[in-house]
Amino acid sequence: MGSAEAKGAVADAGSRSLLEVTRRAADLALKKGAREAAAGAYRARHVEVAWRDGQVEKVTEATTRGLGLDLYVDGRYTSVSTSDLRPEALERFVEDAIVLARTLAPDPHRSLPDPALYRGQSKVDLDLEDPTHGALDASERRRQAEALEAAARAVPGAGAILSVTTSVSDSLGEGVLVATNGFEGSRRSTDFWIGAEVTVKDPDGRRPEEYASSGARHRADVESPEEVGRRAGERALSRIGSRKGESGVLTVAVDARAAGRMVGSLFGPLAAASLQQRRSFLEGKLGVAIGSPLLDVSDDPLVPRGLGSRRYDGEGLAARPFPVFEGGALRSYYVDTYYGRKLGMAPTTGRASNLAWRLGDRSPAELLAAMGEGILVTGFLGGNSNGTTGDFSLGVRGFRVRGGQLAEPIGEMNVSGNHLELWKRLAAVGNDPYRYSAMRTPTLVFEGVQVAGT
Amino acid sequence: MTGQEAGRAGGPREGIGYFARFGVTERMIAETLAAALSRGADHADVFFQHRVGSDLGLEDGAVNRAYASVELGVGVRAVKGDQTGYGYTEDLSLPALLECARTAAAIADGPARSGPTRLHIRADLPDRYPLVRPWEDVRPDEKLPLVAALNERAFAADPRVKKVSVFLRDESGAVLVADSSGRIAEDLQPMTLLYLSVLAEDGGRREQNGYNVAGRAGFEFYTPERLDRVVKEAVARTAILFEAGAPPAGELPVVLAAGSSGILLHEAIGHGMEADFNRKGVSIYADKIGKAVARPFVNIVDDAANPGARGAINVDDEGNAAGTTRLVENGVLATYLHDGISAHHYGVAPTGNGRRESYRYPPLPRMRSTYMLPGPHAKDEIIRSVKRGIYCVNFSNGQVNIGAGDFTFYVKNGWLIEDGKLTRPVKDVNIIGNGPKALEQVDMVSDDLAIDEGGWTCGKDGQSVPVSQGLPTVRVAKMTVGGRG
Repeated sequence: MGSAEAKGAVADAGSRSLLEVTRRAADLALKKGAREAAAGAYRARHVEVAWRDGQVEKVTEATTRGLGLDLYVDGRYTSVSTSDLRPEALERFVEDAIVLARTLAPDPHRSLPDPALYRGQSKVDLDLEDPTHGALDASERRRQAEALEAAARAVPGAGAILSVTTSVSDSLGEGVLVATNGFEGSRRSTDFWIGAEVTVKDPDGRRPEEYASSGARHRADVESPEEVGRRAGERALSRIGSRKGESGVLTVAVDARAAGRMVGSLFGPLAAASLQQRRSFLEGKLGVAIGSPLLDVSDDPLVPRGLGSRRYDGEGLAARPFPVFEGGALRSYYVDTYYGRKLGMAPTTGRASNLAWRLGDRSPAELLAAMGEGILVTGFLGGNSNGTTGDFSLGVRGFRVRGGQLAEPIGEMNVSGNHLELWKRLAAVGNDPYRYSAMRTPTLVFEGVQVAGT
Repeated sequence: MTGQEAGRAGGPREGIGYFARFGVTERMIAETLAAALSRGADHADVFFQHRVGSDLGLEDGAVNRAYASVELGVGVRAVKGDQTGYGYTEDLSLPALLECARTAAAIADGPARSGPTRLHIRADLPDRYPLVRPWEDVRPDEKLPLVAALNERAFAADPRVKKVSVFLRDESGAVLVADSSGRIAEDLQPMTLLYLSVLAEDGGRREQNGYNVAGRAGFEFYTPERLDRVVKEAVARTAILFEAGAPPAGELPVVLAAGSSGILLHEAIGHGMEADFNRKGVSIYADKIGKAVARPFVNIVDDAANPGARGAINVDDEGNAAGTTRLVENGVLATYLHDGISAHHYGVAPTGNGRRESYRYPPLPRMRSTYMLPGPHAKDEIIRSVKRGIYCVNFSNGQVNIGAGDFTFYVKNGWLIEDGKLTRPVKDVNIIGNGPKALEQVDMVSDDLAIDEGGWTCGKDGQSVPVSQGLPTVRVAKMTVGGRG
């Protein structure tokens, strides 16, 4: 569930009982024979309204819950989860898990984190729970869903629109983590999302689709349905007449929303598990230039209202900002307790929080004007990246850029290369971080990228 | 794994089927359905699920990690026309069920409809995954040696192997769906998956690859022949990467090997034929039923009935019979893949494609096992026919834009074809095409259909379901190959 921090003062009766369930589960594990254990429980309320072409399509509403346990038994390790929290079922479940653990080979690297790393949590108010969440009701959700469609259909050229599907969703989640060597934490957070997907008629019979969405921890930070619906309509209509361009080696700009895909395959191999299993093209590269000097990114878990913000990570480690790439050089890996022990590396955290980019000073339009010729990628389709070698090959759609201006839409094309070459060709970084992802990627411009088409 | 007690507070109600152990009774189901219909929905159903999963993992030479999971919950759906109300909970008590039902019911806004007066359990379901060794009865000390032996054999197979990991997963449990017609269907749904991953080093270079097998089966699935194949394929597919390079970039003829190349069908046509996209008019195949989309020797089916296949089901998650659905018959688009809502919309019988990831989701039209029937050509003839192209052997993933029709699949291992011969291995290349165009360009189909045994999972609207796919050797005259140079 979402990563978020609780302010102790707002913990209501509900989260006290979640804390009780979690503590009892951790105690139960010890009582049944575990040497140590970590228990994590969550509960979340989700509501989602989907709307299509003038009427409600689907309403989903639920309160959901679950519990997970990491068990350390006689030097052995097992991790279990269940949604069946009836006390007698839980007791049997933990007993079975401990029996299972005892059948395994011992693993000297498994134990709870060093408690020293639990300490020193930031006191910053992450502000992840919107106090007005309860005021959002069915009629407001419906109004927004309807407004998203109306805005999409108000765009010039909307006669070509075949269908508009919109969605409005929100959730309130709470999570508790208890480790038997001295950690207890709880967190609550809200999030709110709206989005629209628009399908248009291409004269050649194709029905291209595009979408826009916006989401935030607080309702007030979500864009208006009018803005999001309009953007979805414009994006979809811009796809009409797309065609496959020629193969070649080109300058490729990747828009802020799409860029997360490129960045994700650069960051995956930073995980300690990948390093230890020798499946990372970034192994042994600390301090080495991986990218051009423009590649400059930190991991920052302490951004107020951030989608990836947290005061402690999934293991309970106190969250701290740290540089990942500085001036192109690799500064840190993502190291969890277990693989850190195997590698002899100090833990950082096992999972990325928010990324903070050193932004450029140019807007996307200015970047296109400066690049002159090339393509702008606005979406990826399939493809993959080989984390061991760094080779990648990804389907793309977007636009040709000619004379510094957006030209015709292109699709059914592909980009390929190797990450160890690609990031050295990072030629520009935009001023436009994508706010609706914890990766917060800006527009990125790469020179000399292999593009496949006709 | 979990409590076996039958019945709980509430008096002498009769428990029903598998879920009696959780205190689920006929009366609870009837009351829940009545509540779901209380505001005038046309249709309602309640879906119970219990799924117990167990994973054993090996890394660095030891079976030193295990994962276990229990998913227990229930979802209640009310349908009014094309509109759906849905609620779910992990609490199987009557008050929790009624709350979900009232939430779902609110999709409609009219006078109550009456619920079923009698419930009857479907007794006519096939048995497509009979088990010899159900997972509930297999002890960890039987599974551990299997996992450990694969590690040793992978290291022994090639001195360049430096890291091996193995995962063995099994699932057991049941689903039960009861609907407002009074019909109840219950299905015990086993699953197993074995994955062997290999990292090899050669002269300072590293390559990683693997092989996996999956099916709705018990421990008997792991025959010596299958385990031999897992080791041999995982090591061979890794070792050949040291000799492989990127293919050229641009449009080329593409030959797809028999087996997992069925990913072509899954992406190029399968998703586009899911009836929800067509009902909404957002698929590139909307309004094309009865039209020719491929050469007359092209026949494509989506099949629930392959015994033991990962994509096999005895009944769909709406309680509808699931059989073999013809997507393309002699080159002509024949039938969409329907769930109850779309079947009602089109006025046709459901095809048994209403599936869901879990009780947390309402059903959607989904594929099961999608494959092309054998055609008139021979594999050798097809490869010989290509002057310069790509032969694709195995794949990691694919994706499609339903309306634009563009789709991709990522080739992990393949070969360059030059002058009708396989000349050098290629790797890590994405291939991109457009669904209807690619089908039109399927110009040769071999007689060597193979259904892949791999653990494929299909994602749609945030829901993952297990599927299978297959293909005979096929030539596509032209697709864009995302290579280099």
